[in-house]
Amino acid sequence: MNPSDQKWSRLVAAARPAQDTRDTAAPYGFATRVAALAMAQERLSGSLLERFSLRALGLASLLALVCVAANISTVTSLFHEEAALSDDPVAEVLDLAS
Amino acid sequence: MAEDESFDLAGCLDLVRKRDQAAARALVEHLHPLVIRIVRAHLPRRSSEEDLAQDIFLKMFTRLEQYQGAVPFPHWVSRIAVTTCIDQLRAQKRRPEFRWADLSENEADVLDAVLTNENDVEAGDALAARELVHKLLDQLKPDDRLVIQLLDLEQKTIAEISVSSGWSQSLVKVRAFRARRKLQKLFQELEQKERP
Repeated sequence: MNPSDQKWSRLVAAARPAQDTRDTAAPYGFATRVAALAMAQERLSGSLLERFSLRALGLASLLALVCVAANISTVTSLFHEEAALSDDPVAEVLDLAS
Repeated sequence: MAEDESFDLAGCLDLVRKRDQAAARALVEHLHPLVIRIVRAHLPRRSSEEDLAQDIFLKMFTRLEQYQGAVPFPHWVSRIAVTTCIDQLRAQKRRPEFRWADLSENEADVLDAVLTNENDVEAGDALAARELVHKLLDQLKPDDRLVIQLLDLEQKTIAEISVSSGWSQSLVKVRAFRARRKLQKLFQELEQKERP
């Protein structure tokens, strides 16, 4: 064994008898506090997700409907303009000349 | 840990999953000895053991749905405890330099006896030796520290460390080797420095 390893081994062997004799039971009120925190944390995260996701979905749907309703005339007029533009311009010029 | 053989762990876990607060409280009380032993063995400087234990239990409850029963529940909890302690140790970042001047009279005597090999460490100096061991362990990386502490101080086997940490046995061996090499270097440095 390496001399440094021997030193470490001697030191650890000397330290081992010093057992930790402190009580390992939960301090008074610790379990109640932790259980309450854990349950509250789960409820909070669940309800936050539900609340925000449902609200966001509702708001997004409403905005989409409002946008369509506000722009319905523009959308229909665009369709008409497109139909007019699809006519042949040469034919139109010839029509004017005749 | 689970010294109370009559405790119905499976039943308690079912109730906790149904959000039964009394069952959650019973589970904390049942597992507290296991968790607090890990916390005390690997407590970072200036940290409160109660705060760290509370963090570990809150993580346990948050991740409870992920527990599939592949390992016994106390092992699963001890892994959470070990990783939480290591994260806390990593958060400390800078490890204080090991200096003779920072040792108490008893600790310096113990270190002197160990370094000179002339005297045996006296039985009454066990507490000082333990403090000294912890100060030396503070010089190691958190993962290496955990392995060498469990292996040498608590005399756990490689297999037991692998179970409680979740690391493979070869990784545990590598970390133990690395920790021993660092300790050798520390002892060499201490021998070169004069005791004040």
